[in-house]
This record gives sequence, C-alpha cells and structure tokens, in this order.
Amino acid sequence: MKILLKTIQLQIKNSWIRPMFRFCLIVNPIMNAFFLYHMFLQSGQPNFLSYVVLNAGLMALWGCICFSSIGDIERERYMGTLPLIYATPTSFGLVILGKIIGNTFLSMSSILISYLTVKLICFERIHIGSPIYLFLSFLLLIISFSSVALCIAYLLMLSRKTSLYMNLLELPIILFCGFAFPIEELPVWAQTISKCIPITWVVKLLRMSIDGVSNTEAFNRSFGICMLTTGICMVFIWVIYKVIDMQIRVNATLEVS
Amino acid sequence: MKQFIKMSFVDFKGHLGPFRLEEFLTLNILNPFLTLVFYCLLAGYTYKTSDLTSWVIGNSFLLCTSVCIFSLGIVFTREKQCGRIRSIICSPLSKLQIMLQKGFFPCLVCILTTLVGFLLGGVFFHVPLGKIHWGLYGCILGVAMVGACSFGLAIGAIGLLTDQMHLILNTVSAVMLIFTGTNFPVAQLPFWGRGIAKVLPLTRSVEAAKLLCDDFTMEQIMRLLLGEVLLSVCYLIIARLILVYAEHKAIKEGTLELF
Repeated sequence: MKILLKTIQLQIKNSWIRPMFRFCLIVNPIMNAFFLYHMFLQSGQPNFLSYVVLNAGLMALWGCICFSSIGDIERERYMGTLPLIYATPTSFGLVILGKIIGNTFLSMSSILISYLTVKLICFERIHIGSPIYLFLSFLLLIISFSSVALCIAYLLMLSRKTSLYMNLLELPIILFCGFAFPIEELPVWAQTISKCIPITWVVKLLRMSIDGVSNTEAFNRSFGICMLTTGICMVFIWVIYKVIDMQIRVNATLEVS
Repeated sequence: MKQFIKMSFVDFKGHLGPFRLEEFLTLNILNPFLTLVFYCLLAGYTYKTSDLTSWVIGNSFLLCTSVCIFSLGIVFTREKQCGRIRSIICSPLSKLQIMLQKGFFPCLVCILTTLVGFLLGGVFFHVPLGKIHWGLYGCILGVAMVGACSFGLAIGAIGLLTDQMHLILNTVSAVMLIFTGTNFPVAQLPFWGRGIAKVLPLTRSVEAAKLLCDDFTMEQIMRLLLGEVLLSVCYLIIARLILVYAEHKAIKEGTLELF
C-alpha cells in the first residue's frame, strides 16, 4: 500500500510538470466546456448545463489518460527507467497501477475546471439530481478508467509507436462511450461495441445521477454491468501481462520493442 | 521551380519517414473521418436535425488541422532537433522560399484529406453531393488550405522561440474548432470571440463553402475568398518576421538551438 501511495504521489508530481498534461488538464476542459456550451445552447434540453460540465470534463479526463497514463510505459522506456521498474522486487503491475491511479485522480480535476468554466460563462445554477449516486459513480469511474488505461498501456508496451496510437485512441473512446451524446445516437453495431467497454456504463451511471435516480433497479443493473465489464477487463489485463512478460523475457525486447 | 518541388518533396519525405502507408492513411484519413463523424453526430443530437450538410462541409475543412497545425507547426522544431536549423539560418536562400517549400506538399495533403473527408462524410450523412458547384468548391478548398498552411507556418516559426509547442499547437487546434464557425454560427460567439474568428484562417472559407449549398452570389464568394487570400499573405509575412526576430535573438543571445 505504501508503494502504491508513493507511486501515486510521484506520478502526480511528474505529470504536472509536463506541458502536454497541463494542456489536457487545464486548457482542454475550458475549451471543451466553451465548445459544448455553444453546441448545446440551441438544444432545448432542460438541464443542458450539467451535461456540458460532465461531457467536457469526461472528454478532458480521457484526454489526460490518453496522453499520460497510456504513454507512461513508453516514457519510462525513453528515459531508460523501464528495466529498473521491471526488475525491482515490487510488482511491475503495482507500480504501473499506481501511476495510472495517480493520473486518473489528478485528471478528475478537469471536471471541476469545466464546472468553473460553465459557471463563468453563464452564472446559472447547475442542477444535480442525486449527489450520493453521483459520488458512487465517480468512485466507479476511477476504477473503470484506470482498468481500461492499464489494459491499453500493456498492449502498447509491444509497440514503439505509442504516440501515434495515443492520438488515434482519444476520439474513438469519446465517440463509442457516449461522452458527448448518448450511445443511442450511434448505429446498432457501434452500440454493441460500446456496451463491451466499462466506461460506457460509468457514463450512463453519471447521466442517471445527474438526472436524478428515480429507478434504483435500473441504476443497480447498470452498476452491476459496469462492475462485470471492469472485472473482465482486469482478467484480460492479467492474461496479457503474463503473455507480454513471457515474450519480454524470451525475446529480451523490453527496451527495444 | 524544379528545385523548389524537389526540396519540398525531400522535406515531405523526411516527415513521412517514420510512417508506414497504413499508418499514414490511418492518421490522415481514418482518424480525421472519425473526427468528422463525431462532430456531425454531436450536431445532429444537439440541433435535432438529420440534415447535416453544413456540418459535413465545415468539419471536413477542419480535418486539415492534423497536417497544417500539428505537422507544419513543428517543422522548425524538428529542424532544430535534427541539427539542421543552423544550416537553414545561415543559408543564403530566401527564408520565405524555405517556408513555402515546407508548406507545399502538406498543403496538397490537406486538400486531399479535406476532399476525401467531405466525400466520405457526404456519403455517410446523405449530403446532396450532386447539387454542389464543384469548380467553386475546388477554388474555395485551395484558398482555404493555402490559408491554413500559412497559419501553420507562422505558428511553426514560434517553435524557434519556445519549447512549449505541444501546448501551443493543441490550444490553436481547439481555438480553430470553436472560433471558425464550423459547428455553430460565429454570430453566437461573444464580441471578443467574433474578433478571434475574423483573424483565423478557414472562417471565411467555411462560410463560403456552406454558401454553396444555399443561395449564393459570386460576389459573396469572391469577397470571402479575397479576405482569406489577404489573411494568408499576412500570416506568411508574420512567419517571416518571426524568423527574422528568432535570427536576431539567436545572434544576440546564442539561443537558437537552446529551445
């Protein structure tokens, strides 16, 4: 636990000094909030400001994860510290998990920044239907975002073109997980893909919490599916970690792949 | 001219070097197309409309940002990293010519990306492509991309003065998304926002291209295109001035390769 907390602390400090991360954390939610505010202005939705805050914050949060958590392994490789982390007696997975949790935790402040931006634009009250459910959904958000980020980070360990894939991964997740609009707007085949990603269910839970949870059964069902898909994601992470670990040891490609 | 094309191609080849064909296509066609789909679906949801013609047109023009901002924006930074910047600054060749060489092939890629994005988006969102005046569309597209590339070169020249290019390029890209009137009318913006829109490339071209699907007069289109051409010239002049300033600063402080 001490290692995990230290890694989280160190990662927050490391991420903060990078200009790109500061863009994702500060500028991106401001821009997203401003853009979405103007897009939703004519929508006629009664509680559109809450959606603007949530959508802008989530888009920025994913941007932070894409350009930091996913690229962390590549960054360690570039700096020459990857073999040290890998060979240390502490589990490699624990160190990477700490980094990703640290990033996700820090990145969640983008939701606060988007809230402040919207408040600054129109000074209107932002209504939240069920704050307690929203808090629960945010806890689940940290877990599910971290698990997806960890999964992609491991997969990208095998590639040297992480920066290319980081750019390519940002938008599809925003599109498929319904960050800016509900997934029901997508074609049926795309909705099927969306439902396999745990983040989609967290976004659904967040929307339900903002609207106010009148149907607890529907909330619990989405919560259960989110836990299940996150669990499957974690099993997948464990399997690919074992495969990649074996491949790295057999081929000695930790620093060159 | 032959030398100009040759040098442009060599520079462009250097940029393409790290990419395989499928990676280049993914980065310049697939990802921009997904971006277009995302913004058009968002517009369809927020404006509650199935006629997405003006969003397809507007967002297809914005697809050029991946090349004209993110690629052209780091040309001078890349030269610095590769150790060529000294040769460029010391070369007797006109710096304006060097800049134009760097922008030539990216400009063609921008035109191709925008056109492919528009056609794919048009088919995907049922845009009446038959109603478009393609000759005028081609003119608008050409002028728009020259403007966008000039802007990219001006931003790229700032790379000689700062090491925060990722921050600058991403901010500029977001500013272009919001203030060029591609997704919502410029009139909806506050006073200062309308001021930013006026000095950004693509604002006038996007407006002109959107007019093609509406009732338009040649005078309206020409006025907008002339504005865009003048803006492009201004950006090239600004880029040249930044290079001159960077040159002087480097001589005085010896900081050319420091940032």
